[in-house]
Amino acid sequence: MANFILRKAEPQDVPDILRLIKELAKYEDMEDQVKLTEKDLLEDGFGNHPFYHCVVADVPAEHQKVEGYSVIGFAMYYFTYDPWIGKLLYLEDFYVMTEYRGFGIGSEILKTLSDTAVKNRCSSMHFIVAESNKASIDFYKRRGASDLSLQEGWRLFRIDKENLLKLSAEE
Amino acid sequence: MDFTIRAATLEDCKDISRMILELAEYEKVLDQVKITQRDLEQDGFSKNPFFHGIIAEVPEHHKSGEGHTKVGYSLYFYSYSSFKGRAVYMEDLYVMPEFRGKGIGKALMSKVSQLGLAAGCTQMNFTVLDWNKSSLDFYLKQGCWDVTSDLGYHCMRCEGDALEQLAQGDL
Repeated sequence: MANFILRKAEPQDVPDILRLIKELAKYEDMEDQVKLTEKDLLEDGFGNHPFYHCVVADVPAEHQKVEGYSVIGFAMYYFTYDPWIGKLLYLEDFYVMTEYRGFGIGSEILKTLSDTAVKNRCSSMHFIVAESNKASIDFYKRRGASDLSLQEGWRLFRIDKENLLKLSAEE
Repeated sequence: MDFTIRAATLEDCKDISRMILELAEYEKVLDQVKITQRDLEQDGFSKNPFFHGIIAEVPEHHKSGEGHTKVGYSLYFYSYSSFKGRAVYMEDLYVMPEFRGKGIGKALMSKVSQLGLAAGCTQMNFTVLDWNKSSLDFYLKQGCWDVTSDLGYHCMRCEGDALEQLAQGDL
């Protein structure tokens, strides 16, 4: 199956984007953690100051394996900044539906994103992977990615809303 | 000690650049800094900034041994979680050694939290080096948690030749 196109996501893709976000979350065993709604995605991605950008993989009607879905993969990304090297592209989510794997769609998405990074003069593309996700880690390492947590000792920290509120209220 | 926390301006880029180099030296990676004061001015203070900055300033009579009144900074930008939506990423947090222990670091972090919450963010993320015990302890005390430890997420990077090759579709 060679027929698919990659294109910039449009507002009407939002229901499919949310569906794929939830499928990816399920694959990572975190389905109940998705709090985003279609309304959030629409406002945050297609307003005046988008918080994210999205590319989607679309298959024509005659190649649809799963009833009713033409959007079968996506990647969500945004631009970040490293005060040492400048602009970076951060890959937040990257997913292709199981039925459509092995056809080079994932590779093509990654190629498009890398191209976007290079065209926007980003020095690097960053993302996180769970260490238990061996298949994905191999996929990325085969393409030249390095593991900063292992190699340089970087640990990702997070502060959630409740503690963020406490911190912001301190004098 | 008296200090103020305020938004960074174009004129602060000289001191931000100085402190970025001081922080890089503290993290033992001074040779990795490629960004110049000019890059910071262009990337942080044009129409579509890639980052935002806040500065900690002390009055003239408390200036540093070398005559600096700008004694700390934080660089941050907005990011996006496909689970929870808008997030704020604290890229750098630094206070000059002679001004530590006076609540300036906490005040900078508190300001980023306030700005993040005001922008509709529900979480703040950042990275810490695993050998940086004093920073790790400081952050854990503020209610942060270690995503790398708890969920096994590793920070990955694809840069330079690897990024170019990926963009060209070579494997």
